[in-house]
Amino acid sequence: MKTRTGIVLASVLFAGNALAAGTTLNVGMAGADAGKLDPHVATSTLDKGLLHWMFNGLVRIKPGEASPAFIEPDIAKAWSSSEDGLTWTFELRDDVECHGDYGKIDAEDVVYSLNRSANPDISAFAKDYAAFESVEATGPLEVTIQLKNKVPSLLGLLVPYHGGNIVCKDAVEALGEDYQRLPIGTGPFMFAEYEPQQYVKLVANPDYFRGEPKLKEIFYRYIPSDSSRDLAFQAGEIDMIYGKQEQTWVERIKKVPGTKVVVMTPGEMSVIHLNMTMPPLDDIRVRKAIAYTLDRDLMVQFKGPDVTLAAISPVPEGHLGYTGDVPQYPHSIEKAKELLTEAGYPDGVTIKAIHTTLPGMLSTMEAVQAELREAGINLEIQTVEHATFHEQIRKDMSQVVHYAAARFPVADVYLSQFFHSDATVGTESAVANFSHCAAADKEIEEARVEGDSEKQLALWADAQQKIMEEVCAVPLIQSMQLWAWKDTLDLGTEVHGSLNLSPPVTEMSNFTE
Amino acid sequence: MTAFILKRLGFSVITLFAVLTIVFFIVRILPGDPAVAILGDQATEASLAALRMRLGLDVPLYQQYVDFMGGVVVGDWGTSMVSGRPVIMEILKVLPSTIELTLASLVLGAVVGIPIGVWSAVRRNKLPDYIARIGSLLGLSFPAFVSAVLLLLFFSIQLRWFPVISSGHGSSLSDRLRDIALPAINLGLIMAAYITRVARSAMLEVLNQDYVRTARAKGLAFSIIIWRHCLRNAMIPVVTVVGLYLGILIGNSVLTEIVFNRPGLGKLIVGALNQRDYTMLQGMMVIYTLIVVLVNLITDLTYGLIDPRIKYS
Repeated sequence: MKTRTGIVLASVLFAGNALAAGTTLNVGMAGADAGKLDPHVATSTLDKGLLHWMFNGLVRIKPGEASPAFIEPDIAKAWSSSEDGLTWTFELRDDVECHGDYGKIDAEDVVYSLNRSANPDISAFAKDYAAFESVEATGPLEVTIQLKNKVPSLLGLLVPYHGGNIVCKDAVEALGEDYQRLPIGTGPFMFAEYEPQQYVKLVANPDYFRGEPKLKEIFYRYIPSDSSRDLAFQAGEIDMIYGKQEQTWVERIKKVPGTKVVVMTPGEMSVIHLNMTMPPLDDIRVRKAIAYTLDRDLMVQFKGPDVTLAAISPVPEGHLGYTGDVPQYPHSIEKAKELLTEAGYPDGVTIKAIHTTLPGMLSTMEAVQAELREAGINLEIQTVEHATFHEQIRKDMSQVVHYAAARFPVADVYLSQFFHSDATVGTESAVANFSHCAAADKEIEEARVEGDSEKQLALWADAQQKIMEEVCAVPLIQSMQLWAWKDTLDLGTEVHGSLNLSPPVTEMSNFTE
Repeated sequence: MTAFILKRLGFSVITLFAVLTIVFFIVRILPGDPAVAILGDQATEASLAALRMRLGLDVPLYQQYVDFMGGVVVGDWGTSMVSGRPVIMEILKVLPSTIELTLASLVLGAVVGIPIGVWSAVRRNKLPDYIARIGSLLGLSFPAFVSAVLLLLFFSIQLRWFPVISSGHGSSLSDRLRDIALPAINLGLIMAAYITRVARSAMLEVLNQDYVRTARAKGLAFSIIIWRHCLRNAMIPVVTVVGLYLGILIGNSVLTEIVFNRPGLGKLIVGALNQRDYTMLQGMMVIYTLIVVLVNLITDLTYGLIDPRIKYS
């Protein structure tokens, strides 16, 4: 009854545009406004979630899943690779229409898109495509990708995520600078309108190659205040909301009648990176002492068992190449104290961390601080605003870095970005190796080009073991993605995960009432 | 009068120039790189360098300053580094919403605050006075975001009278009124508390004046003395306060805009700050400074309307 009142109320509120309640989806997203809507530039969670519903890739991960094990055809209907794994040929569907009047997708569009993704002047994801030697149209509907060297998961680079989104060449060229706010794709939903600080409106793409979507409109609303977002959902004004990564949020929102709370992978993995070039952390005994002190199970309890997983390896669980078979440091304050004494710090040590003021991340760090104190390790936290935090940790200014990130779920990405010496912060090729770890360079490099998938998995496992032996970092927890939606909304698929950090709203999604 | 306005405008230009110079340099001293904020944490150095060049961040600082100031003079405030749209368009798009909210809360504040303040002064040290004083203290000390959530819980969730988030595309008058009601009440109550206090003390002062005693001695009705003779004289401090407070009100609207999910300057500036959108921040400061300067000017001119004894020279 209450839900019905909510729907009636919502339709009254949105009268004029949504008299067809039941075909309009209102999404409440945490964020003040849209950033970049060009799929090759958009990096923030709130932008890439929206783009998810407008674009296709050559291949895709089955909606509702996040693992590369579920890769299936998208714009390409078939593909093959040469024996050495360096040449890949894709055969395209002939019925993929660009939004608007930009015609059908052909090999030229795909070549243009992938070259654009690899172009550092335009793309935020160029690095991922550095192994592309050439992308050529070898037929009107055939594309051949030539690689410089083998890539651990080539198909993973071609899913509609980051640079894998296929854009319409004519649209990008015709729109020029305007393209960054007029995304033209091929997906089930088309960009219709943008109201600053309010919403982006999408409409169904009647020519979608998988069939016309059942939902006719999506209002993607920017609601930065957590409490307003929850209240709007409770009042029935919003059908689907982005949740806070907190146990209390789950418990609170579950109580709203007719609500489905969904926990999705991949999670954001929190890792404590220890800078191995700065004393006292240059001493492995001190790093081990930290590892023995941090109690993951306690952290999981603290952050909420329904929304958090313990992290064991430096690669998140569920990623291709993950192993749980790594050196572990079970919680033991005694052992930690022993190690510290051995290292010459019987009275404890002081280490320093620059950290963000973002509440979720700060509370994790404060819990770490409290745990470390038990073993006589004094963690001094210097808090700075979030953008400053990112800048300073990349300048190699922090001894301890707590970093939380979600990446494409293949071990190589995490290992290369966080634990390969090429990625060391403060260097020319820096990414996010805050610990100056070089323990597994050889394994990481070999795994990248290893053709035999068994051997590749073994190399990745070796790499994870070596990193944990060296204690370059202490993996802490994985915070899962949380969403809630009305149980009258049927997305058309079971939802376990989403690479783009937003639920899969597809041509199948509809309201059952 | 004209000379006065011209002189004031001259000062305003100098003020604006000083504020913009300070803002320009402060914004650039802030740590945090706009290119990183835009491209995210996986971008390569090459991509970042290319973006910095596109944003004009690779030229020397003095050159950037000259370009910026030159732009402001000819009315070109640049384009937002994040959205790529002209700064002035982005601001003009949300400005009406902020002005609407500010004016609505101002009117509400005056309508509620002035009578209560007067009433409280007239009944000095009696029950109504205590109630008014405690009430205004409460209004001033209550954090705006807490009262905002309480208003939502009661009027939107419990009574279902108003929407939680503004629908954003309802352009009919009734929709707009429904959208603005709660945010205006939220800010208006703070304003009312403020005005109550000032109106009360101004009124008390006036009530002690000789002419009030004379009027009472003449046997004039007390209500006529209050509303016709005292009120006008008591209004000068109130207008000053309102003028001063208007600037603060626009600042206070940040939280209100966020909780009630209204578009506006407040939301725009928070977003610009988080993303290190230099051009947008500069544009916002131009607007804020202009508003404060303008409001002060209007306040000064209003004195003359209320009190003909005030001369402009």
